[in-house]
Amino acid sequence: MIRFILLQNRQGKTRLSKWYVYYDDAEKVKLQNEVHRLIVCRDTKHTNFLEFRNYKIIYKRYAGLFFALCVDVSDNELTMLELIHLYVEVLDKYFGNVCELDIVFNFNKAYSIIDEMIVGGEIIETSKQVIINAVKNIELLD
Amino acid sequence: MFHLSQMDQIFLKSLADVVRTSRTTSQYDKLTFTTQTIADIKNEIQSRQESVRYQALLKLFFLAMEGNNIRWAEFQIINLMGSGDFQLKLGAQLAAHLVIDTQSQGLIMVTNVFQKEFKNGHVECSATLSCLGTIANKDLSDSLLPHVLKLTTNTKPLIRKKAIAVLSKIFTINPLNIPGNLEMVIQQLQKETNISVLACGISLFCSVMKVAPKLYPLFLSIVYDQISKQKSNWLLIKLVRISNKLISLEPRFQGKLIEHYTRLLNQTNSKSLQYELIYSIMKYFKNHSQLYESAGDILKQFLNHQDPNLRCLGLECLTHISSSAGLMEFQEQILESFKKSDYFSKLQILQLFKDFTNQQNFQTVIEFFIKYSDLESNHKIIESLIFIIMKDKFINVDDPEKLLLMYIPVIAQKIDTIDNAIRFKELLFELLTRVPGLKVYSDQLCNQILQTYAIQSDSLQGPTLNIVQRHTQLKYSLNHREIIFKSLIMIVGESVKLLKLEALTNIIKFLEQLNILNCYESSLSDIDSLLFKIYIQIIKTDPSNDLIPQIEQLIKNIYIKLHNISIVKISFFYESLILNKTKDQLDQLYNLYAEDLPPINLEAQKLIKPPEGLDITQSFQIDIEEIEKIKNSNNDQLEQKPIIQQLQQIESNQTEQEDQNTLIQKQEENEEELKPLNSKIDPIPKKVFTINRDEELPPGINQNDINKSKEEE
Repeated sequence: MIRFILLQNRQGKTRLSKWYVYYDDAEKVKLQNEVHRLIVCRDTKHTNFLEFRNYKIIYKRYAGLFFALCVDVSDNELTMLELIHLYVEVLDKYFGNVCELDIVFNFNKAYSIIDEMIVGGEIIETSKQVIINAVKNIELLD
Repeated sequence: MFHLSQMDQIFLKSLADVVRTSRTTSQYDKLTFTTQTIADIKNEIQSRQESVRYQALLKLFFLAMEGNNIRWAEFQIINLMGSGDFQLKLGAQLAAHLVIDTQSQGLIMVTNVFQKEFKNGHVECSATLSCLGTIANKDLSDSLLPHVLKLTTNTKPLIRKKAIAVLSKIFTINPLNIPGNLEMVIQQLQKETNISVLACGISLFCSVMKVAPKLYPLFLSIVYDQISKQKSNWLLIKLVRISNKLISLEPRFQGKLIEHYTRLLNQTNSKSLQYELIYSIMKYFKNHSQLYESAGDILKQFLNHQDPNLRCLGLECLTHISSSAGLMEFQEQILESFKKSDYFSKLQILQLFKDFTNQQNFQTVIEFFIKYSDLESNHKIIESLIFIIMKDKFINVDDPEKLLLMYIPVIAQKIDTIDNAIRFKELLFELLTRVPGLKVYSDQLCNQILQTYAIQSDSLQGPTLNIVQRHTQLKYSLNHREIIFKSLIMIVGESVKLLKLEALTNIIKFLEQLNILNCYESSLSDIDSLLFKIYIQIIKTDPSNDLIPQIEQLIKNIYIKLHNISIVKISFFYESLILNKTKDQLDQLYNLYAEDLPPINLEAQKLIKPPEGLDITQSFQIDIEEIEKIKNSNNDQLEQKPIIQQLQQIESNQTEQEDQNTLIQKQEENEEELKPLNSKIDPIPKKVFTINRDEELPPGINQNDINKSKEEE
């Protein structure tokens, strides 16, 4: 199960955060700082997963943004890495050559896309086309 | 609610305006900006125009992401979730998780809102289900369960999969909802063809197994059915994962999976699916050699891969191989991957070898890790090596002599932390205690390790261990080199009786180097003890040796440095000399300690008042009558000592006779066994050291050493 998703830049600014387990506001800030501190200093030689408290952090860096998922210990790391890549591909296809500013000014769209991929901490859809169709259907009603 | 005029709307800030202003505002003005924006939002969110309210909602969302508290807006957001405008509803549902948590009072109102939304079109229903999946608590789950269950039969797969995903959360929050409802869902899933819906169903089963594992028979058949026909990698990964849990509960299920796992392993190119399969096979299918071997081949590919992630996952799988024989098969790949791995992967590999090193691969492992230690992981490597050597009372060590003379000096050179120095000290003491006869090599060991200390002794740096000596209350600091130095000096001191004159000469020459005495001031008392022992040994064997004046000069140097020799040491020293030394040399040594002790420092005396009646200018000398008393009491003890020794010798002779008889019996038995092999034995057999792993022998005492020393005395 996915516990939370974070999108942070190199300076530690959180561009997107989705929490599937209850944490109070102070705990959320603490977690964001801790995760950023752990992943920002890692080299490309390092693995993309590390132990974090009783869970695992699976992260991947795209340009200046770090995409991090906190998952249970029993979850498949490679699956989560592929999920991060899928999300980036969907963002890229939706916004057309996506950059950090697209997410800053259209964060509500980024959240909608996540909601089409993950519900209650579980992956529900992995087809890029199905996800984009669902988001476009939502836009038609807007 | 109020209506904004067209003029007012022109001056309204949109989300983009707020974002741009926030990015360009300095930190000092941020608070003002945020306060102003929140005040604007509080007004705009009550507007009648939906576009205005939508922009206010988005701005509020943005401020929450910036770290501002928006819980005051809980009621407004819940209100917006029930709005007629889809855009507003969606925005409010997306923002809901920022203001609503499991303890929010507003969740009561959400129930009615959601019940209404579930009756709307599939897009609204889908957005509502996503929101419910994030904010569900026990009360909300219980009240909305019937509605969610109804949605699992919806014509749209989008609704069905989200409904099942929400159900898995509802069942986790309140397991009492499972009986009765789970069977209904399983019946629907048996007819389901959409892969996404099936995948959500498998996730539902995983959630149920966490809270109610005994219900596994309900979905065992559906899992097996899907494994045999599915081709989607995502779904197969979930199926393999749930199969692991099912195998632990129902071992007979394992047999049915062999054929399918073999097929999947041979056909798939997906690394994530391969990893899941290998993990499962290594843990549960050890008895099935063909499948195990196939998994082993793929595991080797993982360990050799360029991608550090795959190497790390390969090592993770290896932790499930419980025997060292199993690990030996992958040893080469593991050691190769160690060279390319990052710090955490190296720790993983070290842990593997800590658990699985045996006599066969002990030498290879030690040599490899000594060769490939780097700055970052050096202390962990040394810690692991010491653990491997000492494990189960040196069970991995078959050649203690080689260990002591070849590997231990190299390990000592690489130690750079105090913890490892202390572990190294324990290793040395333990090894020399458990292996009789190894103490003979203590001088060689000392030379190999301490020669480099003599060269590098000017640069004693690094963290230190602060110690307060009990009887003298002296405070001193030791770094890792000094800890090793002290332990080696002590070992040599214990082995003095076993060493030849040449070895003792080398040790004295080493200690004469002035640098040693300056840099290792905290160890001067240990050096002092060693010198006494060497001195006594030399006097007994060769009283006219040229070394004796050198030793005396060294002792004098140390005495000057220490300024404080204990009375116990003096009496022990005199006692040994009285028995063994000639008179004139004794007199010379007596003069060494007969000189007046210096008076109390006058500068220090300014701060401390001397007691009344004490003349600080007079020298302080021990009463001669007292010395005579000590000597006489020592003489009494010395007279009784030979009688006690004779009694002990009679006892030891008796036990020795018994030991010899048993030895002769054992030898005769061994000879009969070894007769066929005798032709293959070398004419000059190598000295074999055996490790004593007996718990009953007190540490530091060896029966053979005791007997030898008594014979010499």
